[in-house]
Amino acid sequence: MRPLTEEESKAVFTKLANYIGKNLVHLIDRPDEPYCFRLHKDRVYYVSESSMRLGISVARPNLISLGTCFGKFSKGGKFKLHISSLDYLAQYAKFKVWIKPNGEMPFLYGNHVLKAHLGRITEDTPEHQGVVIYSMNDVPLGFGVTARSTIDTRKLDPTAIIVFHQADVGEYLRDEDTLF
Amino acid sequence: MDVSGILASQASKYKSIAVEKDVPLEVDVGSLSATDLNPIEEEGYKIDLEEGLQNTARDGVQALISALFQLPTQSTADGPLAMLPPPKTLLPRAKPLPKPKPPTKWERFAAAKGIQKTKKDKKVWDEVRQEWVNRWGMRGKNKEKEEQWITEVRANADIDHDPVKAARDERKARVAKNEKQQVQNLGRAAGGTRSDRKQEIVKTLASSRISTASMGKFDKKLDGEKKLRGVKRKFDPTEEPGESEKKKSLALISKIDREGPSKQSRHNHAGKSDDVLNVRKAVRIASKGKGGVALGRELGGGNRPNVRGGRGGNSKRGGKR
Repeated sequence: MRPLTEEESKAVFTKLANYIGKNLVHLIDRPDEPYCFRLHKDRVYYVSESSMRLGISVARPNLISLGTCFGKFSKGGKFKLHISSLDYLAQYAKFKVWIKPNGEMPFLYGNHVLKAHLGRITEDTPEHQGVVIYSMNDVPLGFGVTARSTIDTRKLDPTAIIVFHQADVGEYLRDEDTLF
Repeated sequence: MDVSGILASQASKYKSIAVEKDVPLEVDVGSLSATDLNPIEEEGYKIDLEEGLQNTARDGVQALISALFQLPTQSTADGPLAMLPPPKTLLPRAKPLPKPKPPTKWERFAAAKGIQKTKKDKKVWDEVRQEWVNRWGMRGKNKEKEEQWITEVRANADIDHDPVKAARDERKARVAKNEKQQVQNLGRAAGGTRSDRKQEIVKTLASSRISTASMGKFDKKLDGEKKLRGVKRKFDPTEEPGESEKKKSLALISKIDREGPSKQSRHNHAGKSDDVLNVRKAVRIASKGKGGVALGRELGGGNRPNVRGGRGGNSKRGGKR
C-alpha cells in the first residue's frame, strides 16, 4: 500500500472528473473525515485515513483490500474505473441517464444503452461525456460514455447506441473474483 | 541544267537551321539549356497548343545544337567531343551552406593573441643530401635522428640507453598528444559540458550492457566492472501527518483544471462553463421567452416605470450569460 505518485493521481483524477467534474473536490475535501487514495497491487482504493492507518500494520501480501476499490491501473499505466466506485460517482454525477425498466436487464448484462431504452437524460449532455446510469426509480445501475450529445439523439433510430457501457452492477456477480 | 527547283524543294523539306526570333534566345551551352524569353502568341496557342509548343521547343533545341557545333571539339575514339564552357546560369544550392566549424582550442588562443597562421611547406631542404625531402611521412625529416647511422650519447647515459628508441618514443608521444587534443576538440565542438557527456556515455554503456541476447547475463565481466543498478523508485510515505496530502491532491486538481480539459471534452464544451446548468436556457424558460430583464422586472414587483427606447436591446443581452 502506498500513496499515488503525481502521474497516477493525475490519471485517476482526470478519469473521475469525466464523471463528476468539479465535485471531485468533495471526495478529497470531506467534512466528516479525511479520506485518501491508496495504491495496492495496482488497484486504487479510496479509504478513510483512520482505516488506512490500521491497514499499514498489515503486511503487503496479507492485505487483500481496504476501503473502496475505485479501479485499477493497467500494465500500460491507464486507469480503469471499477463498478465499486459507483456509490461515489452516483452521489456526485454531473450528467445522468435514466433507463426504462425494459432496458435495465440488457444493460446489467453488459450491453450498451440503446435509444429505445432511454428514459431520461440530462439536458445538454455533450458527446463522449461520462454519465452515470440510473433506473427509472433512481437506483444507480452503472456508468458509461455518451455516444451522441443530447441534441443529436433526437434524430437517431430506436436501435442506435446512446451510451457506451463501461461498468454495471452486474459485474459484482460476473467479475466477482477480480473486482476488488 | 537548272537545279534551283530541286534545291528549293529539298530545302523546303527541312526547316532552316537559323532561328529568327524577336528577342534572341538565351543559350547557356555550359548547362545545355536554351531560354525563350519571347511572349507567347495567344491566338496560335489557342488554335493548336501542341503544335505551338512543339515549334517553340524545336526552335530552342535548334539554337542549342547550333551553338554546340560552334564549340571547339576534341577527337576521341567515340567521335568528336565538344568542349563545354562553364555554365553561365547561376543555380541555387540544393543544400544549405555548411555551418562553419567551431574553432579548436589552438585557433581560439591564436585569435586572442593575434597569431597569424603560416602555411608550412610539405618539403624541406636537406643540406646533407642536397635535395628536397618530406617534412614528415616516408623518409621524413622528423625521423632524421632515428635513421642516422651514428648518434651522440651523453657520457653519463645509462648502459641500456637506446638513442634510436628514445627519439622514436618522443616522436610517437607527440603524435599521441596531438590525437588526444583532436578528440578533445571534437568533444568541445559537439557541445555540452564534460559532465553531460560523461553521463551520456555512462547511459550508453549501461544500455549496451543489457543489449545482448541474454540481456548481459552471460557476458564476460571486465575488471572493476560494477553491477548495474536500476533506478530506485521513490514514493511518498504511506502515512503523512496533518493535511499535507489533502493539500497536495487539491493542488493537483486545480492544476488539472488550469491545464484545461482534454482535447475531446474541450471540443464538446466549446464556449461553455463546467456547470451543468444551462443558464441561458433556464432564464428563457423561467421568463417564458421574454428574457432576463423582463423576468427581473416582474420579480421586482412591476411598479417600476416601464422604460422604453434605448433599453429595448437589453432584454436580449440579459438573456445571455
